[in-house]
Amino acid sequence: MSINPIITFKAGMCDLDTSTSPPKITPKPTGGYIYLFEEDELIHFCWRDRNAPMSQPELELVMVPSDGEFKPYTGPEPSSGSTTKSPTNGRIFVLKFSSSTQRHLFWLQSKSQHVQGDPSWFSARDLKIGSIVNRLLQGDEVNVDEEVANISNDRGDGDDETMEDAAPESHGDIQGNIGSGDPFMGDPGNEGEEAREGGADGGRAASIAVQNFLRSMQGNQALGNQQDQRQGNIFTTLPDLLPPAETIQMVDSADTAFVDNLLSYLPPELLLLSQEADDFSSVDPNSETAQAAIEALSLDQKKEILRKVLRSPQFSQGLGSLTQALRDGGLPSISDALRIPVKDGGFTRRGGVPQGGGDAVEAFMDGVKASTKKENEAKKKDEGEDGKMETD
Amino acid sequence: MSAGWNTIESDAGVFTYLLTNLGVRDVQFEELIALDADLLRQQAPIYGVIFLFKYPTGEKPSHTPRDGSFDYEAAENLFFAAQTIQNACGTQALLSVLLNKEGEVEIGEGLREFREFTGAFPSELRGEALSNSELIRDVHNSFARSSPFISEEQRLATEDDDVYHFIAYTPLNGVLYELDGLQPAPIAHGACTPDQFPDKVIPVLQRRIERYPANEIRFNLLAMVRDLRIKAQEIGDQNMLYQEEQKRKAWRWENALRRHNFVGFIGEVVKGVAGEKIKQGDYDKWIEDAKVKTRTRYEEKKKAGQDVEEVGA
Repeated sequence: MSINPIITFKAGMCDLDTSTSPPKITPKPTGGYIYLFEEDELIHFCWRDRNAPMSQPELELVMVPSDGEFKPYTGPEPSSGSTTKSPTNGRIFVLKFSSSTQRHLFWLQSKSQHVQGDPSWFSARDLKIGSIVNRLLQGDEVNVDEEVANISNDRGDGDDETMEDAAPESHGDIQGNIGSGDPFMGDPGNEGEEAREGGADGGRAASIAVQNFLRSMQGNQALGNQQDQRQGNIFTTLPDLLPPAETIQMVDSADTAFVDNLLSYLPPELLLLSQEADDFSSVDPNSETAQAAIEALSLDQKKEILRKVLRSPQFSQGLGSLTQALRDGGLPSISDALRIPVKDGGFTRRGGVPQGGGDAVEAFMDGVKASTKKENEAKKKDEGEDGKMETD
Repeated sequence: MSAGWNTIESDAGVFTYLLTNLGVRDVQFEELIALDADLLRQQAPIYGVIFLFKYPTGEKPSHTPRDGSFDYEAAENLFFAAQTIQNACGTQALLSVLLNKEGEVEIGEGLREFREFTGAFPSELRGEALSNSELIRDVHNSFARSSPFISEEQRLATEDDDVYHFIAYTPLNGVLYELDGLQPAPIAHGACTPDQFPDKVIPVLQRRIERYPANEIRFNLLAMVRDLRIKAQEIGDQNMLYQEEQKRKAWRWENALRRHNFVGFIGEVVKGVAGEKIKQGDYDKWIEDAKVKTRTRYEEKKKAGQDVEEVGA
């Protein structure tokens, strides 16, 4: 059976010696390739010697979707604001799993793109490769050719094959600490399970899309801070834009259609709890009971539910989290999931790198403004009058 | 060591439904707002007390405990597990009380099996088994804050280095035990019957709290008790029953929100408010006012010398 790799790039394996503290990472000099292919809907993560055929990888791991992560190894602490660098003298990626503590380390064998030849600097292309692999491991569909084409490549080298090999450090050892002594270095594992509650299907799909994206961005936390340092654009935050004072005002003047729409994005359990029924404990809300609950409530009762939610600590935390996600490079994914178009799809003009920091939040709000204006105009046409929202 | 445990809030509502979802019947948690034996006694029957506190460093295990005495034999006769994963420690403390009450409490099929399975294990292995238990981990994680936006490492990296410690106190076999997964064995604090528990545990807790500088420690006390609605029914107090039902409703409400992923909802809210602002011609002012708020807070934090990388906070 012929193998059609989804992505292939030059990389070498590393030995990991955990008997020392910090653990020692030693790159093995053998030239090779990391490549991924799909079989029976599972992704195979493989490494082969450069001279070995594709069917004979030295390492082949069958990956359960979302079990594995492929991230640049940047040390136990997040980068403090500067560009992504490995604390070693090579560009190291780590493959790790939620289901076990196993880790595999690899080093990129394509030549460093750093202008001064800094061997531990991850270029946009390096990060993109890592991000693509990571997303594939989550079970995402990735159009690799398109993704790679979108990276602006300073050197003009399009093809990994033609890049010069990077030589492993001649002293052989790369010191690195993967923080196995750090009690907090657990894998996120099953964080962000699929939205369990009802809510509009659009909302659910949005949540999953954002979750998947952000898992793939975990290695790139520095993005937000990078942007701040360069442009100093703090802009603002969702909690500052949407305090109860603003949101409750909106609810107060909203009509039934708007209120019902908002409620569809909340867990149906809230609707059932608002009714005075005493035997709710045995009821498992499904779409019929949720529908019945919505119909049973008066507009005032529904508004009261919304007000309570908008004042809740969980909602404010959600606002803070989403703001941080936007700042950290989640704009393209979030804009896509919420169907709020933003300039350049949320990427910077150079492409390949998402907007970050205050710029991303600003771009998001610009997108919101444009979408809302459009919707308002469409409504005006439908209603034919002055388009004022009616209250019941 | 297994991975995949998320942080959950130490809240009576979270813990109560965590046990319920594990299959436990008729058990709930009550927050103790004061170290008062009478207050505690009112919640009887009491299975144990969980003392949780936040403090920069943990106490290292030592050969003799600072209060009480190690009871190594007891570790064989009761369920005591070594703590292996930080994020799991709250759940672990709950279970260290619960799994010793098999006679008094209906712990459900899943936990019964777990208890049997780990019956002959030494405490480190019990701790491992707990952190590997899919049932327990999955229920635990279902109460984790739904923040799919922030990776676990990011969140941990930006929080302060304070660590939460959970310690359980419970009367077992006529002795008051302190069960701390970071210590090598259960610590005995003298003879104690279930009736004497409220009176005997309070001074022990007081001594514990006094070990730390008063202004540096934050702590919480949760009593694990029998479902208070049963008590209300027993004594025929309709008002109490009503209040307990309301409390349950509030807990379920909060838990539903905790689990909920707010992305879609926030999208609709921001569009709704923006829509109103545009109609009123106030959009730009709205944005500018918010920017001022953010800027002011940022400047204040900077002045106070705080870490300003978290603009969103």
